Amino acid sequence: MMSLAVADTCFLINWLSFRRWEGIFRLFYRILLPSIMLPELRSRRVRGKIEELVYRGSLVILPRADYVDREALRIFNLVNSTPGLPRIDEPEAYGLAYAALHGLPLLTDNASPKVAARSLSSLRGVVVYDSLDLLTLLYRGSELRAAVEEFMSDTSIIFSRERLREAGVEL
Amino acid sequence: MKASRDIATAQTLSAPTSSARRMAEQLGDYLKRLEEAKELRRRSADWAYIESRPEPLRTALKLLVETGDLWYSSKLSGVPLDELNEERKRARIPLVVA
Repeated sequence: MMSLAVADTCFLINWLSFRRWEGIFRLFYRILLPSIMLPELRSRRVRGKIEELVYRGSLVILPRADYVDREALRIFNLVNSTPGLPRIDEPEAYGLAYAALHGLPLLTDNASPKVAARSLSSLRGVVVYDSLDLLTLLYRGSELRAAVEEFMSDTSIIFSRERLREAGVEL
Repeated sequence: MKASRDIATAQTLSAPTSSARRMAEQLGDYLKRLEEAKELRRRSADWAYIESRPEPLRTALKLLVETGDLWYSSKLSGVPLDELNEERKRARIPLVVA
């Protein structure tokens, strides 16, 4: 089991609507959610679930810190000024900066952090997992296939054909 | 210093070294996948549902179809992220992990 991971909000709200959402805590003891992302969550259902996870110690809200902000701004400027790289948002840049500075994986289903981590030398080595990466870490064979189908049905998130092929999943 | 080195690295993606070429190919492949994802969102979306929604929700959903970026669409339209995510499911707009 890896100990900690930083998650972005979009990833978390979708993952929490997956019927097997608890599986993520077989991979990570605790998920870190930057507080910069909290005001984006308004629904009582999602907030209730976040509060429950905080209460049981599975989720920690990260306070905003200057040194992370500085790195996030650097990443934000760099990614958004580099031709060809998908645009990165402020909260994603903050999550990526925190993950990079602390040697933690970042959990996100957005393309930008993953592409940036692969393309920019100062981010090389930063691990970015998306939902399919986590499903492949959690399940194998027919159980993986079932989990992928359930995940796509519960969240309306679709994995591209290429990603499924790379993961060895045939639907 | 670090930033300029990074930009230099990024700008040499198309340089004729094998690692830079491979990286440029990977990036090109990725961007192609993102373009296919946009087409899939356009095809899958329930446009009648989207058109029936009040503003600013309608614009937020259209932005989401074009960008695939939930946060960006939420921020620009002022529709809360989790509310937009629920609406996206009703509008049958898939988020595509490429």
